[in-house]
Amino acid sequence: MYSRLNNRRIVVSCAPLEVVFILFALTLIVHSQFVSAQDKPNETSSESNTSSSSMWSTAKDLLDNLQIQGFASQAFMATSDNDVFGNTDEGGGFGFTELGLNALFRPHSRLQLSAQMLSRRAGKDNTGEPRLDFAFLDYRLYSHETNQFGIRFGRLKNPFGFYNDTRDVAFTRPSILLPQSIYFDRTRNLGLSSDSIQFYGETSSAKWGDFTVQFGISRPIVDDRDTEISFLGSRLTGGLSPDISLVGRGLYETPGKRFRFAISGVWLNTDYKPAANEVGSIGPGSIEFSPIYLSAQYNTERWTLTSEYALRKFRYTDYGVAALDNLDFFGESFYFQGEYRFNHKWEALIRYDVLYTDRSDRDGSKFAALNNNDPDRPAHSRFAKDLTVGLRWNITPRIMARLEYHRINGTGWLAPLDNPDASMTSKNWNLFAAQLSFRF
Amino acid sequence: MRTRNTNYLCILLIILLFVITDVKAETRYQIVAHPSVDEDSISKNYLRAIFSMRLRAWSNDLIIKVFVLPDDNPLHHSFSKEQLGLFPYQLRQSWDRLVFSGTGQAPTTVSSNEEMRLKIMNTPGAIGYLETAYIDDEINVLQIK
Repeated sequence: MYSRLNNRRIVVSCAPLEVVFILFALTLIVHSQFVSAQDKPNETSSESNTSSSSMWSTAKDLLDNLQIQGFASQAFMATSDNDVFGNTDEGGGFGFTELGLNALFRPHSRLQLSAQMLSRRAGKDNTGEPRLDFAFLDYRLYSHETNQFGIRFGRLKNPFGFYNDTRDVAFTRPSILLPQSIYFDRTRNLGLSSDSIQFYGETSSAKWGDFTVQFGISRPIVDDRDTEISFLGSRLTGGLSPDISLVGRGLYETPGKRFRFAISGVWLNTDYKPAANEVGSIGPGSIEFSPIYLSAQYNTERWTLTSEYALRKFRYTDYGVAALDNLDFFGESFYFQGEYRFNHKWEALIRYDVLYTDRSDRDGSKFAALNNNDPDRPAHSRFAKDLTVGLRWNITPRIMARLEYHRINGTGWLAPLDNPDASMTSKNWNLFAAQLSFRF
Repeated sequence: MRTRNTNYLCILLIILLFVITDVKAETRYQIVAHPSVDEDSISKNYLRAIFSMRLRAWSNDLIIKVFVLPDDNPLHHSFSKEQLGLFPYQLRQSWDRLVFSGTGQAPTTVSSNEEMRLKIMNTPGAIGYLETAYIDDEINVLQIK
């Protein structure tokens, strides 16, 4: 019922964006034809009309300015215990599929329209129903040689960390599963994109390198069940609604991108609306979630060494329930990762990834004690340490295969929807995954 | 017997010389652009901004069309390393980040020097690189400042 409700909400929220898009495209086509008609008399006088038609391209050029690409990935996953993206602990499953179609259109030297449809089948909260992943227009307000400044408007990918913007495209990931301590797949809809206005600026210098800054004001997408459970637990049945939130990232790259450093932050606000049967027992509270991410990368011809650190602040207020209103804590995550390229066909990966739900209770013992050692709230659900090794084979530039193995201690990032009975989860478990990806 | 050996050695040396000069010739290339591109020379930093796809238009507002050879092509490797200071994998990763976050387009990949030459000659706003052997008076060469 929830997922059906969600889908309807998503469709409704997409509609105005799509209308804006169609209107925009139509205006552009009409405008460009008008301009190219105006250009015609000039053609006889000068042999080249490129500079006059460059502002608004002709219909043929319009097609040249459209890029369409897509990707498709299918994974096989098997776990020793616990379920990841379907029932994986009884021989494994093919429950993880990602399909995407992406269009980038540049009708004018200052304007770009971008949209991506995504179908993601992964566990109970991701049924594979296509959704609008992003759709926005990007207008360059200022562009001079190596300095750019512009504005983006629409549904945008949240810019945080090194991987969030492209997290569903296997080719852009270092592994089949991104480091879950930072790129949670269970609250992915929240982390992934939001309806926002974003400003960006880029500058580069031959001596110092490149600086890129993005800053957005947004309405996050929080109304999916997995996000609600992750924030509030499965016992509350009301819904979360978005409030104004901020997201920003600054990226610095030394010349040759040898070193890359980023700092990103999100200040996310959501309001809780109690369900009808909860009125009186719980108030319409709010959650403030404000993580900060530090990212660093070192690149050589063969090695890429990456590390990211996140400090995640959670604060719950105005619920009128002591257990929730007392929640004010920091989560902490980090990973170290090495990628080695043997040649352009073969790459290996090793990574150690750590998540603490509450950094003042790293082994979850306080949490378990607070809940009277309730088997439904085990200590091991409050952390996860994941050692991963992987292999990537670029069969062709368009086809890629991957294998990876995870040795995991703790269930901190397991999706509760796929593992509804926490007392049945195992603290120590293994995950094996294989994936085949195609792009065009 | 001895003269025969020297002869062989001479022939071998000459062949080797050919191979070496040939290899050298292969890595010699120029930055080329469509005649509509209103510049004779550009800075390395400008070139980097263009090939990293952050820049969208030439100074005369014409949309920039970037063409490259495949990632594993030796000329592409030399060009990336020498002109941009980047390994081909770094370029590919930054293009993928732009495309799949919707914030930029990727260059068009062509399969050969011949195709590159055709595209550069027939696409307004085009920029790419070509082995010197494929460059003649019809092609507009951009000098690096």
